[in-house]
Amino acid sequence: MERTEAQNSTPQGRYTLLPSRYSSEDIIFCIDVDTESLVEMKVTGPNGRPITRLDSIKQAILLFINAKLSINPDHRFAFATLAKSASWLRKEFSSEVESAMDALRLLSVDSSSGHADLTQLFKLATHEAKKSRAQNRILRVFVIYCRSSIPPQHQWPVNQKIFTLDVVYLHDKPGPDNCPQKVYDALVDALEHVTEYEGYIFESGQGLSRVLFRHMCILLSHPQQRCLQDLVDLPKSLTKKSPTADSAPGEENPAVSSQ
Amino acid sequence: MAINTVPPLIAAQLNYLLSNSPLPINVEQMWSGSKHHGLLDRFTLVIPFCLDYIRWDVIYNALYPLAAPDIIFGPEDESFRPYHVGGGDGDLKSPRKSLSDWNCKDPTWLLSLILELRELYMTYQRKRVGEVDDERLKFELSTIVPREGIEMYMRSGIEKTEEVKFAVPLLGVDINKMVTGCPWRHQQKIFLEVIFPVGRKYRHAPSTPRLKLVASPELKALFSTEDFRLPPWLDDMCMAEYLPILEGLLQSQIVDAVSSIDVRRKFIVALAPLFGRPVEADPVFCRKVAFLTSSGVFTFLVHFSLPLQFPKQQPVLMLQSSQHFNPSGAPIKSPVITEFPWSSTWESSEMAERFFDFLVEECLNFKKYCNESLLQQR
Repeated sequence: MERTEAQNSTPQGRYTLLPSRYSSEDIIFCIDVDTESLVEMKVTGPNGRPITRLDSIKQAILLFINAKLSINPDHRFAFATLAKSASWLRKEFSSEVESAMDALRLLSVDSSSGHADLTQLFKLATHEAKKSRAQNRILRVFVIYCRSSIPPQHQWPVNQKIFTLDVVYLHDKPGPDNCPQKVYDALVDALEHVTEYEGYIFESGQGLSRVLFRHMCILLSHPQQRCLQDLVDLPKSLTKKSPTADSAPGEENPAVSSQ
Repeated sequence: MAINTVPPLIAAQLNYLLSNSPLPINVEQMWSGSKHHGLLDRFTLVIPFCLDYIRWDVIYNALYPLAAPDIIFGPEDESFRPYHVGGGDGDLKSPRKSLSDWNCKDPTWLLSLILELRELYMTYQRKRVGEVDDERLKFELSTIVPREGIEMYMRSGIEKTEEVKFAVPLLGVDINKMVTGCPWRHQQKIFLEVIFPVGRKYRHAPSTPRLKLVASPELKALFSTEDFRLPPWLDDMCMAEYLPILEGLLQSQIVDAVSSIDVRRKFIVALAPLFGRPVEADPVFCRKVAFLTSSGVFTFLVHFSLPLQFPKQQPVLMLQSSQHFNPSGAPIKSPVITEFPWSSTWESSEMAERFFDFLVEECLNFKKYCNESLLQQR
């Protein structure tokens, strides 16, 4: 399956920055509103108040949006929810943080959804992607999924890849009554099936917000400038290097592993 | 049709104009010619001219949608009569064809009419400027006549003086083509605005005109007209002498601006082995780059902003936490960081090493700053 490769690595994987296409993004967040989104995270908030996955997700999205706009104020965001299928929460794209905060306030959990079908999500993303392209922008869909026993399904033709798909998967620890590995595999399948540029998927069963926030930051990566997920080496640690391991200033080290 | 809608034939012509005009024309306001029908059949167009704007009112009549609109020009232009086909009016051609052959069903007609009128307006202004009784101005006009694309107009200046303003397009070069991967959708242009006070009583006054460099807005990603120092206008100079000097200087600075893109690019690439692959970098102008780094479990973003005069002018840094938030949920950012070891003579790899060492220490300060901000919120 040919995927559009970003142009930012030499064959050895060293980072380069060629003057290539650089489009502003239109990003649709699609948030799971099944009851499993109300599962509590491991750490409580101030005053011992429990924090649900949905609370963390909202904060993670605000982190993402603020950071993305600090990098480039031209990126825009819209919101959808996923119950049995996807539906719009706020379909107008906006680059205003206030607007995102308003949309996130509307986010609430309905009931247990049973199955999950991504087909409608892919349909509306395709429709939006065409509009984005007409404005020299690219579309990204960002699915945040929380069900531990329900692998999502989809019916999508093989060669329609005009948006990038990223996934964050929050789940319970694996046990006899659930199948997070199966769900994860289904999410990977969906990603590989539809994504235009390299899509990233992160999962966590630890229940730590800090981990979710770190994943969100890696997902800030601009699709047109990404390396393969296997080669992602972020965040980079800022620790003092020992003097002997240093190369002299000005000397290039071609054996540095791909970033 | 509901009140406050635009009748379809008028809307079609206006939309065509707004989407297809080669110049950025805007609608300033719309209103109705009659309180009985309330349909929006009148509007003001703001049209760029001579590095300024002229405002013309377009008056349709919703009750007679087949008729051509009237155009009302600005109050200073009472003598602009493009419909007047008089014997003595020499080169002023009437847009009679546009108006007499008016076809309301053709959505392109309004745009053609406006562009045609703008051309006639340019000719009218040129004629007015030519009629000014000022030796110096007449001389200037005669020497710059061969230049393409100059617009000019007469206006009342400060204290009831009259002024003549010229907008001179500079540099025949296509700046867009000079930038690899250029994202600009419109052609970027630079103009010199020249304003001469005129009138006989000023013949003995200092004759230096007011000069200003004006560029299309997107150009500032590459080049700043504010930072450009205009060469001096010497006594007894005229535009024909000044312009080539200005253009020579401007040309070399634009060329420098284009090559400094790659200097910034090299610096960004030098940061990657130490800071990791950037989450996002500007690959065309290389003005910004963001990295995701950590110190222990503290994960944060490092934003570098590179000025146009880099490396003569140092970059600016900002840090952004991924784990500390203010009361409205925004991640805490450091103040802009400008104090760090820096020399413009270092190789880019040394600059990168120095930043790395600096940030190993500085991020601990930032972590403290974030924790203190959280405590203050409680």
